[in-house]
Amino acid sequence: MTAPLLSIRNLTKEFPVRLGAFGERAATVHALDCLNIDISEGETLSLVGESGCGKSTTGYCVLNIQRPTSGSVIYAGTDIAQLDDDGMRPFRRDLQIVFQDPYSTLNPRMTIGEALAEPILFHGLARKSEIRDRLHQLLADVGLSERFASRYPHELSGGQRQRVAIARALACQPRFIVCDEAISALDVSVQAQILNLLLDLQQKYGLTYLFIAHDLAVVRHISDRVGVMYLGRLAELAPAAALFVQPLHPYTRALLSAVPSTDPRAARTRQRLQGEVPSPLAPPPGCRFHTRCPLARAQCRSDVPPLREVVSGHSVACHAVSSPTATNWEHSPA
Amino acid sequence: MTDGTIINPPEDRPSSLWRDAWRRLRRNRLAVAGLVVLAVLVFVAAFGPWLTPYDFLSQNLDARNLPPSLGHPFGTDDLGRDVMSRVIYGARTAFLVAVLVTVVAVLIGVVLGAIAGFYGGRFDKTLMWVTDMTMSVPQLLLVVVINASLKQPISLWMEARYMETMNPLYRNSAIIDFVLVFGSMALISWPPYARLVRAQVLSIRNRPYVTAARALGLTNRIILTRYVMPNAVGPLIVAISAGLGTAMVLESAFSFLGIGVNPPTPSWGNMISDGLRVWTNYPHLLLAPAAVLAVVTVAFNFLGDGLNDALNPKGQK
Amino acid sequence: MNALLDIRGLTIDIDRDSGPARVVDGIDLTVAEGESLGIVGESGCGKSLTMLSLVGLLPNRIRATGGVADFAGKDLLAMSSEELRRLRGSQIGFIFQDPMTSLNPVMRVGAQIAEALVYQSGMAKPAAMERAAELLELVGIPSPRDRLMAYPHELSGGMRQRVMIAIGLAGSPRLLIADEPTTALDVTIQAQIVDLVRDLKDRFGMSVVWITHDLALIAGLADRIAVLYAGTVVEDSPVDVLFERPTHPYTRGLLASLPTLTDKPMSRLPSIAGTPPEPGRRPPGCPFAPRCALVTAVCTTSVPRLAPVAGSAPGHRAACFVTAGEGAS
Ligand SMILES: Nc1ncnc2c1ncn2[C@@H]1O[C@H](COP(=O)(O)OP(=O)(O)OP(=O)(O)O)[C@@H](O)[C@H]1O
Ligand SMILES: Nc1ncnc2c1ncn2[C@@H]1O[C@H](COP(=O)(O)OP(=O)(O)OP(=O)(O)O)[C@@H](O)[C@H]1O
Ligand code: SF4
Ligand SMILES: [Mg+2]
Ligand SMILES: [Mg+2]
Repeated sequence: MTAPLLSIRNLTKEFPVRLGAFGERAATVHALDCLNIDISEGETLSLVGESGCGKSTTGYCVLNIQRPTSGSVIYAGTDIAQLDDDGMRPFRRDLQIVFQDPYSTLNPRMTIGEALAEPILFHGLARKSEIRDRLHQLLADVGLSERFASRYPHELSGGQRQRVAIARALACQPRFIVCDEAISALDVSVQAQILNLLLDLQQKYGLTYLFIAHDLAVVRHISDRVGVMYLGRLAELAPAAALFVQPLHPYTRALLSAVPSTDPRAARTRQRLQGEVPSPLAPPPGCRFHTRCPLARAQCRSDVPPLREVVSGHSVACHAVSSPTATNWEHSPA
Repeated sequence: MTDGTIINPPEDRPSSLWRDAWRRLRRNRLAVAGLVVLAVLVFVAAFGPWLTPYDFLSQNLDARNLPPSLGHPFGTDDLGRDVMSRVIYGARTAFLVAVLVTVVAVLIGVVLGAIAGFYGGRFDKTLMWVTDMTMSVPQLLLVVVINASLKQPISLWMEARYMETMNPLYRNSAIIDFVLVFGSMALISWPPYARLVRAQVLSIRNRPYVTAARALGLTNRIILTRYVMPNAVGPLIVAISAGLGTAMVLESAFSFLGIGVNPPTPSWGNMISDGLRVWTNYPHLLLAPAAVLAVVTVAFNFLGDGLNDALNPKGQK
Repeated sequence: MNALLDIRGLTIDIDRDSGPARVVDGIDLTVAEGESLGIVGESGCGKSLTMLSLVGLLPNRIRATGGVADFAGKDLLAMSSEELRRLRGSQIGFIFQDPMTSLNPVMRVGAQIAEALVYQSGMAKPAAMERAAELLELVGIPSPRDRLMAYPHELSGGMRQRVMIAIGLAGSPRLLIADEPTTALDVTIQAQIVDLVRDLKDRFGMSVVWITHDLALIAGLADRIAVLYAGTVVEDSPVDVLFERPTHPYTRGLLASLPTLTDKPMSRLPSIAGTPPEPGRRPPGCPFAPRCALVTAVCTTSVPRLAPVAGSAPGHRAACFVTAGEGAS
């Protein structure tokens, strides 16, 4: 295997916050805990998991938009997690992000055309005489007419803004894009169009994606590998095909069973997660899933399960799963 | 950076936040009235010398202390000078001073406030300390002190320069007055602007769109000038409108106290002070400049309120 | 069942320099007491503006220019802004599409929810805080009491959305209007929110209008679905009928674009070619005609009306010359 495009090593992010009526209690949000992933060139790695489990934080820390508390991100031989703004600047062009909240990440005083032209001109990717064509191409790619160039963000609908955010990330012709819920506000037809665009660009230019999404059908459709996160840690990391056919971690199984079906009459055989929902303010010791896990045993409450490769390419962090065939599903909770 | 190349057909001009604000301002009757009054003032101040029927200095000792009449709408003063001409000239003084003082104060305030808010650190701490100190001393007192302590050394220096160069410029004491009084006014007026801009920049620099600009790799200078400042100027515009009015009142106050513009140059302040001495006999000498000053102050207030509503439409809903 | 909300012939115009441009072009929708209506449609077709017009929150330069929207017998479009203000929150709960911009960035979320409660139901401040914590718990936010103290930027995207949902539900409204409330929520939490809303609907007879792009989600929540295209309703149908027998070509296109857990990964997804017409530049005939595979001569000249679909279940209507109504084959 070739060297990965990005190596994420022990990435940890903690947010100090203040609690209590007068902010008198200091506390820490453990958003990300020792994350290790290699992302190879040209692949699409998706992250899924419960809301608030640290997916966006992963994206921000990988791109050093939020400074990680510890850990490293190796890109092109450099640990970019340690760089300051000036040090990051040469890498920014290559590493782009589509933010989860498109409206608030667009400058209200700039037209869409100005917002898209800014990175292109700044990084010298087009001359001023070419900029108009470039803009129209970008807008057309995301299914917007050229007339949107002269509009302001507040004049757009939610889905139109989201497409502008995608166009802005593509404007720099990056090598790696974090797509944070990038298509969640789009109707399925436009969504299909954007997914097709992303796949085309990947084929043409070998783009690499870190794709954060909650729509599992979409994730399955475009991912090479999928990482399932739970409360700041990776629970399972597997090729997309394997994960959806044979989910191994108890949380993944619960997640997959919650996927709604388009057939309204299909009986909902949803495996409901019972038990207390843990908080990143005070994550439980041992396996962070043990408060809700149907298989939890004494060991789960004390020891952190390491992420182990149980089949080639398929890793799981669970004490109960030793190999895909010899899982301990039969074990009753102790 | 961007220009006509990306602007599209004029039939669909985008509705920028500025244009929306302008539209809201135009719908506010009081603000429009204020704007009209101020426009007249600017016009009068600019073209005063060509508008006044009499020279503000020309005395007519046969026509002293005349009450308002057709020939002299505001009457004449104790030297037979036309009061309206003097009020118009006073507008010139007031406006010139207000604009100069405000421009200097805003320039200092915006640059220092923006840098302090954006970069923080020791510079920010020092700046806050300086503004705290300046703002805790009464303005009048400060100007008087600056004036009193600097007038002597500066005139001595001017005198010395004159002896050296024989340049009559150094003989002109009006320059000292202007520089000292209005320079010190500018020096005490910038801290509120600096604090306002700093507070704005502090809250805006953490907005998601600024983070997004960082993620694009843009430099701090571009981020500050194109992403942060355009979103910070709304309250600044309101403050400038209020500041212009305050500066005019301040100029009048100083001239009234005799430390600002000195006679015979007309200023509303020294006219009011002169009029006050004889107001029981010749009330028009007091009323004319006082009324104009009041109208202008009110006009600035209306405009400021209107700007505030227009630029912060959230309060409207 | 009585209609709680009855929108007829609603038109909304954008006031452009060149003159008004029509965004919403004669929408008819009804929501019965205790019914939930799902709304799907092309991005930019006017879903959000339609809903904002009901509660008098249309942005600058956009106005409802025609039609009526009766809510419990009174026309919302004719109400004064004061009447609407009193209605918002207590009678009509509204969940906005953009959580980050609808939340006050410098106010703790607990205070924001409590403010809504104090102002809608005159609750005392401490009780309102208590209730705010309960609401956060209801929408599945862990350590709700601690999170009351968080500022919006300290929450994840999905948590912010759930704070919006909590505010929307705070006043126990009769009608909940939710504009894409779950776009950032994973399937388990989505399911929890859907259950919560369904429970409120069953227990208190709350009516729901739910805008979403997630057809699978809406399938499990809505009684009826309206499909919007270019500011008009092109299909309106009971939920199971729609999935079984999608009639309008746009609806069919939508359903075909849906990736499923069984399709071939990395394949190109079918999407509807072309782009929707912009407000003010709609074609003379059927707005979908330029992109429609079944287009006929009549489609390009006259506008199809919403008509019962021949041979389908009652209450299933579509606006198409070819696939529905008279003359449909
Ligand atoms: N303030 C505005 N000024 C001008 N045009 C606007 C404004 N707000 C929305 N529009 C336009 O009106 C149309 C309808 O917008 P709306 O927000 O209702 O769409 P939507 O159906 O909610 O779409 P989405 O699913 O993408 O949120 C869009 O084409 C949009 O560009
Ligand atoms: N600036 C911040 N200050 C304090 N806490 C934060 C901050 N940003 C994120 N968090 C916390 O970190 C945790 C992870 O947040 P993150 O945004 O990464 O979640 P996510 O997986 O993207 O969730 P979602 O799917 O809802 O967007 C959350 O508990 C959140 O409250
Ligand atoms: S380690 Fe234990 S608690 Fe964690 S998922 Fe596995 S069985 Fe459940
Ligand atoms: Mg997120
Ligand atoms: Mg919308």
